[in-house]
Amino acid sequence: MPELTYREAVRDALGKALRDDESVFIMGEDIAEMGGSMAVTQGLLDEFGPQRVRNTPISEMAIVGSGIGAAIQGMRPIVEIMYEDFLTISMEQLVNQAAKHRTMSGGQVKVPLTIRTQGGAGWSPGAQHAQQLEAWFVHVPGLKVVFASTPEDVRGLLWSSIYDDNPVVFFEHRTLYPIRGEVPEKLEPIPLGKARIHREGSDVTVVATGRLVHESLQAADEAEADGISVEVVDPRTLLPLDEETIIGSVKKTTRCVTAHEAVTRGGFGSELAAVIQHGAFDWLDAPIERVGAKFAPLAFAPAMEQFVVPHAQDVLAAIRRTVARA
Amino acid sequence: MAREVKLPRLGQGMESGTIVRWLKTEGEPVAKGEPLYELDTDKVTQEVEADSEGVLLKIVIADGEVDVGTTVAIIGAQDEDVSTLLAAAQGGNGAAPAEPEAVPAAEAEPAVEEAAAAAPTSAPEPTPRVAGERVKASPLARRIARERGLDLAAIVGTGPEGRVVAEDVENVDVAPPAPAAAPAARAEFEVVELTSTRKTIARRLTEAWQAPVFQLTVTADATALVATRERLVELMRDGDVKPTVSDVLTRVVASALVRHTAVNANFVDGRLHRFATAHVGLAVAAPSGLVVPVIREADRKSVQQIAGDRAGLVSRAREGKLKLDDLEGGTFTISNLGMYDIEQFVAVLNPPQVAILAVGSIEDRAAAVDGELAIVPTLTMTLTCDHRAIDGSEGAEFLRTVKQFVESPALAL
Repeated sequence: MPELTYREAVRDALGKALRDDESVFIMGEDIAEMGGSMAVTQGLLDEFGPQRVRNTPISEMAIVGSGIGAAIQGMRPIVEIMYEDFLTISMEQLVNQAAKHRTMSGGQVKVPLTIRTQGGAGWSPGAQHAQQLEAWFVHVPGLKVVFASTPEDVRGLLWSSIYDDNPVVFFEHRTLYPIRGEVPEKLEPIPLGKARIHREGSDVTVVATGRLVHESLQAADEAEADGISVEVVDPRTLLPLDEETIIGSVKKTTRCVTAHEAVTRGGFGSELAAVIQHGAFDWLDAPIERVGAKFAPLAFAPAMEQFVVPHAQDVLAAIRRTVARA
Repeated sequence: MAREVKLPRLGQGMESGTIVRWLKTEGEPVAKGEPLYELDTDKVTQEVEADSEGVLLKIVIADGEVDVGTTVAIIGAQDEDVSTLLAAAQGGNGAAPAEPEAVPAAEAEPAVEEAAAAAPTSAPEPTPRVAGERVKASPLARRIARERGLDLAAIVGTGPEGRVVAEDVENVDVAPPAPAAAPAARAEFEVVELTSTRKTIARRLTEAWQAPVFQLTVTADATALVATRERLVELMRDGDVKPTVSDVLTRVVASALVRHTAVNANFVDGRLHRFATAHVGLAVAAPSGLVVPVIREADRKSVQQIAGDRAGLVSRAREGKLKLDDLEGGTFTISNLGMYDIEQFVAVLNPPQVAILAVGSIEDRAAAVDGELAIVPTLTMTLTCDHRAIDGSEGAEFLRTVKQFVESPALAL
């Protein structure tokens, strides 16, 4: 199987959709000549031209709003929000418009819009350029929310998002762009709402998203040296959520840790914990542990940034708490 | 001089007993040979007599299960100081909580230092639970305990803050019935604690079930048996117990047993103990459960003597007053459900005995007698044999003799 970086995998899906389907176009800030702030869309302008690879003004509300209009008119737009922190500016369009049109029109209108964005700490971008805000959108009926963690997943899930008839907020993680991974020869869609079990185990389930999937796999290796068998599950789609796989895993292991880079309080791990305690109550042998960032704005100082966000050692400590003895 | 009253060994194999209640109170004078307390062993409930005279100064163990040799009380002279004896008894008993002894400060200090030094390296002890405190348990531990009928309060939690986790529940060896776990009101079933007798029945019959057994059934003409009994009733003298058909049957079976000692045997530690004399056990339904008192040397007794023995044993069984002597040493058992109109049934072995005879009711049945159809009283009997000890032919030969004796009791002489 060929190997791609996470960045190349995103580009591969975008390129194939642009190539195969005239209704697809992409737009965002500096995505054309510059190839995007993260170089994801490099080369696409040359291949598809300025009509289909469009730079926009610096207005996230306009970017999402025009995407909604085009989607309603029959296109499959893919818009990019340079940093997910800037989703805040597009909230009216996302929450009040994109998410509502299909149901408010009684199904007469649909919004097949994909909103790509990225974020995450690890390179000192400060408090306004590295947040993890995915949980906010899981609270909004009418949206779908995806957070991919590997090259294979990001390609297959982006494809499914483009071809889903609902608005999908598609989260990528800044620090994952350079990671390499095998992908199938032929682009295969990965259905939304299906979790992925990265590693099987019998003592503790770690449900992790984004960068924390990789941190959790590392923690699992370290735990295994102590004789603790850890299962790592990535929901991949946060909304709709593959509750069956997650609850099934926890019923098997009887203990659970949730892990994401976003702040713990009100984070997606809280929703996971609620779903799991309800679905697997009689199977739980320990309180569900949540791993996430400390409740503080991210600092510029690299040491302080690292202090705020979670790492493999935090996941490992949580794993140990679930199997602890007095 | 005060003396300790220790739990006696009342029979072979007795390791412990359960004190049901005391018949004397502290401070009451006791004569030697007077009943002192009621003891429940796995075979029988009986009164235990005082083995010395004096005043019952102290009841050390008021009730509950105790091992043989444990000090259960102290008898001595009025106002005698028993503290030394008591301390010794409680120390020896182990189970009773000892008074905390004052430790001289000089001695106490190094101990504290030692503990402090050891603390960082040694694993912390499970947090002891205070009585009445809510039991902390994981949902999974609760579910497993619920499914297995275990009382969480009785399980030591090894999780954080003494939480009972699944592993703690799974480590509980057997599933004893949770005492008083089911609320009395609104319960869908009544929780009945097993008596010692019931526990013994459960244990012994479960053991018996593991033996490879086979059954043989025979039907005999009971005309002569019934006639013999009627003749014996006519010959009763004052004070005699009225003999029953069962008494006659016990007598003839005893005769058959001494002629077939392969059946009159115990299977003990891979060996057979064959007996020249028949000590016949009779299965009796007592209030506390099935008991099998033994008629000794039934092959050497008259039917009238057997009737007398039987009447005494049955009434003692019903009153719960059987002694261990009444129950030990059986070489064979007869279980008779004829009085319930049971035609025939299969009895479970009574180990270490190797055979048991299940006797049904005497029923008038149509039978061919000398080529003619006749109505005859018949008796159907089923012999259960332990195949480790008895082969089919041996069992069949014994049963043929029993049938002959039932049909012609005089042959049993």
